[in-house]
Amino acid sequence: MTTFDFLMQGLVSAAEPMNLFYALIGVTLGTMVGVLPGIGPATTVALLLPVTYQLDPTGSLIMFAGIYYGGMYGGSTTSILLNTPGESASIVTALEGNKMARKGRGGPALATAAIGSFVAGLIATLALAFIAPYIVKLALVFGPREYFALMVLAFVTVSSAFGNSSLRGLTSLFIGLALSLVGIDQLTGQNRLSFGVPDLLDGIEVTTMAVAMFAIGETLYIAAQGAQAPDRIEAVKGSVWMTAKDWSRSWKAWLRGTVIGFPIGAMPAGGAEIGTFLSYATEKKLTKHPEEFGDGAIEGVAGPEAANNASAAGTLVPLLTLGLPTSATAAIMLAGFQQYGLQPGPLLFATNPQLVWGLIASLLIANFMLLVLNLPLVGLWVKLLTIPKPWLYGGILMFATLGTIGANPSVFELGMLLVFGLLAYIMRVFDYPIAPVIVGLILGPLAEQQLRRALAISQGDVTVLVTSPIAAVLLLLAALALILPLILRARGQGNALSQLAASED
Amino acid sequence: MKHFLLTTILAGAVALPAYAADYSVMAPAAPGGGWDQTARSLQTVLQQEKISKKVQVINVPGAGGTIGIAQFASQQKGNPNALMVTGYVMVGAILTNKSPVTLKDVTPIARLTGEYEAIVVPASSDIKSVADLVAKLKANPGSVSWGGGSAGGTDHITAGLIAKTAGVDPTKVNYIAFSGGGEALAAILGGQVTAGISSYGEMESQVKAGTLRLIAVSSDKRIEGVDAPTLKESGLDVVIQNWRMVAAAPGITAEQKAAISADIEKLEKSKGWQETLKTKGWSDTYLSGPAFDEQLAKDIASTETILKDIGLVK
Amino acid sequence: MSGSGNKTSVTQRRPDWAALVIAAVLVAVAVVIFFDVSHLRGASGYSQVGPATIPDWIAACLVGLAVWTVFAGFRRDFPAREKQEIAPVAWVVAGLLSQMILIRIAGFSVATGCLFGLAAAGFGARRLWISIPVGIVISLAIWWLFSVVLQLSLPAGPLENLLEGLFQ
Repeated sequence: MTTFDFLMQGLVSAAEPMNLFYALIGVTLGTMVGVLPGIGPATTVALLLPVTYQLDPTGSLIMFAGIYYGGMYGGSTTSILLNTPGESASIVTALEGNKMARKGRGGPALATAAIGSFVAGLIATLALAFIAPYIVKLALVFGPREYFALMVLAFVTVSSAFGNSSLRGLTSLFIGLALSLVGIDQLTGQNRLSFGVPDLLDGIEVTTMAVAMFAIGETLYIAAQGAQAPDRIEAVKGSVWMTAKDWSRSWKAWLRGTVIGFPIGAMPAGGAEIGTFLSYATEKKLTKHPEEFGDGAIEGVAGPEAANNASAAGTLVPLLTLGLPTSATAAIMLAGFQQYGLQPGPLLFATNPQLVWGLIASLLIANFMLLVLNLPLVGLWVKLLTIPKPWLYGGILMFATLGTIGANPSVFELGMLLVFGLLAYIMRVFDYPIAPVIVGLILGPLAEQQLRRALAISQGDVTVLVTSPIAAVLLLLAALALILPLILRARGQGNALSQLAASED
Repeated sequence: MKHFLLTTILAGAVALPAYAADYSVMAPAAPGGGWDQTARSLQTVLQQEKISKKVQVINVPGAGGTIGIAQFASQQKGNPNALMVTGYVMVGAILTNKSPVTLKDVTPIARLTGEYEAIVVPASSDIKSVADLVAKLKANPGSVSWGGGSAGGTDHITAGLIAKTAGVDPTKVNYIAFSGGGEALAAILGGQVTAGISSYGEMESQVKAGTLRLIAVSSDKRIEGVDAPTLKESGLDVVIQNWRMVAAAPGITAEQKAAISADIEKLEKSKGWQETLKTKGWSDTYLSGPAFDEQLAKDIASTETILKDIGLVK
Repeated sequence: MSGSGNKTSVTQRRPDWAALVIAAVLVAVAVVIFFDVSHLRGASGYSQVGPATIPDWIAACLVGLAVWTVFAGFRRDFPAREKQEIAPVAWVVAGLLSQMILIRIAGFSVATGCLFGLAAAGFGARRLWISIPVGIVISLAIWWLFSVVLQLSLPAGPLENLLEGLFQ
């Protein structure tokens, strides 16, 4: 009961007009900076944190919450409209979202992203308030072997969703895995595939890769169509808003995305991208419209966007209950909390309830503000697509490189954008899917490190990988996901599946 | 709304004082990390205390800061307005990455802050003291898994030094590198590893809550308010500090160096800096002049030795 | 772009040369990985999966995929390609290159303005004397917003210094 009282108290103070106004400014600033590709939520919060220092504690906490959620959300708008993911967690959104935008359904795509983010943010923030202590116990059970099993499951489900074991899908995945090897090996500090180039020691930045593969590769591809391609994209076909059918297809995806994203966000080594991958794979498996996947299926936007925002709230679980900053964003938030005299840690809920509940209330308000800000803008954003092509693509390139330059003003990084942009262009010409490259780049190192950690801890005993119940269940699921389609195919249903795979971009 | 925002931003921009750039501080890391925070704190305090009129922060991330230092040494040569934040982590990174540019190629000014390492075990562990840990380590070095930050970083070096001082082969240390303090801490809390090493600040709240047992700290003398022996007291002569320093460009004159040193000393004495240290939870380990140069040389030499002993540098 | 309609020439035995080139590239990547990590073999510590193990597996799989690609090439399983126009691609690449070259010398705005102008030229707007200055002005505004509001310094050149000078 006291929990509820504290929350109510927090909500009342957060709902004062002045505080609502701060929330709106925070959300706006966060979105504005967060949309820049290459500048993810972590950098957004780091750069904008000083802006909040000038306010009183409540106000600054609220503005801070707004910046955080705004930064998380910012990436999806550009993913959908410009095929330029603002950060790694909105890469999956670009897959279906941009296809929708190109077919004149940008409005519903943006709307389902905004409402999905709101619904997921709302549920996840409430979950943070009420069940955080239980979730965190589960999160701590996850050690290297459990993470390894989770990565195996992610690999199996995701790679089948991106091409159903076709030659080209697997080739793309392995190109991504090969690229993921570049840089210092985290466990031994040895260089791999860096060829003596210092800029390669940290490996290939996921956002650089995503921007190159999606934005630049596609710009080159469209340029190569020359005059054959239509001069303008039809920005709005049918309704700008979601139809009843859109709603009925979206709401379950939102809920599933939330259920997947929140616990994965709460895991110390989970990461927001994995939730979005799994959500996409789930939606593709469960949809009644499989033919639309790869061609603009609304579930493919709704689910991953919800997962993305739910995991943003999930990240706060270990931060608030244990004081563990499990992501770059969380580490910066920790620095921010210290500014408000908050020492996150196991005792936080007991020693500083007012501020904690104030923060949770602020998150709820910020989440609401995000919806208020974004829904009315949908119509305006969609108009962006009516800009004549030379200016639109000139602008996309300007914007895509801006984020990279802002995060790391290096000529080498720009060179990587160009090289990988050309790679993506060639891959498009030969009809290789792009997304598996990014999946390989993200999941490869995670799986490898966790496997090696698990084996090092056990001093080389391989059986530890299957002796923990959680790991065993996850591996079993992965095995089922691998074998079931084979059985189905053997029973003659494979044709339909491989046809679906072929319609992949 | 858009209009309003623009006005706010414009108003904010005009309100900012515009002076000639006095210092540009390079943070050889992405925005948000420890070096970046130090650089941005320097910026704020130098301006606030009117030591400098305008300070600009430049981020050059990559490879443990070695990309930043290479760029700093070549592009800022002889520039008395250029500063760079760096730290102990870079000493190791320069060695493991075989960086051609080292700290000898810049002009060290002063050490500003530092953090000591803490050695912890989960509260449920049967290890109660450093002696227990050493006994276990001697019996079977592989059975003690150490959780900490990146390979070759301060945490790894500390683990290597503990083993070496205790008479255990440092190459046999079963060090498990995690990608960040939070991830390592989660593994320690979850009992995935035997012991954990990280800066005391990161462990503090867990230790206070009783979920982790602090068995030693790496400082020279006991830390005020921390109920744990030093490694030295426990019979291992290991003192290690993860410090951050400020350096100036190479090729500046003695007068220019003196002027910068004076500015930094003024900064360290200022109320604004002392307040910043408090809110950020950094301890003041200010050291400058010949004493600092000597300590720096010592730190570099000992780091090189231990990294060779662990087998990370050949 | 639909893959299902490409069974036109299954009977034809002439290989798809592009597939063979792709296979060769995959093998080349595998060889590079294999040799690059060769000095790491044996440095595994307590885990038998060392820093070279996974790279070796990936290299092996790439070779396997290359063989598969060769088969697909002979069976002409590769999709038909659409006609590609090279000139517009060259414009866009020139834009990206000019930005890379100019960013250190001329600063963010000039470099990014050139990118904007040349990329627009790739899409048919060939009046560079209009598009490049427009791009530079937009970029200058962005530069100013970044350095003032976010305290994030994008690379500065003569134009940026001039702008800053105006506000002193």
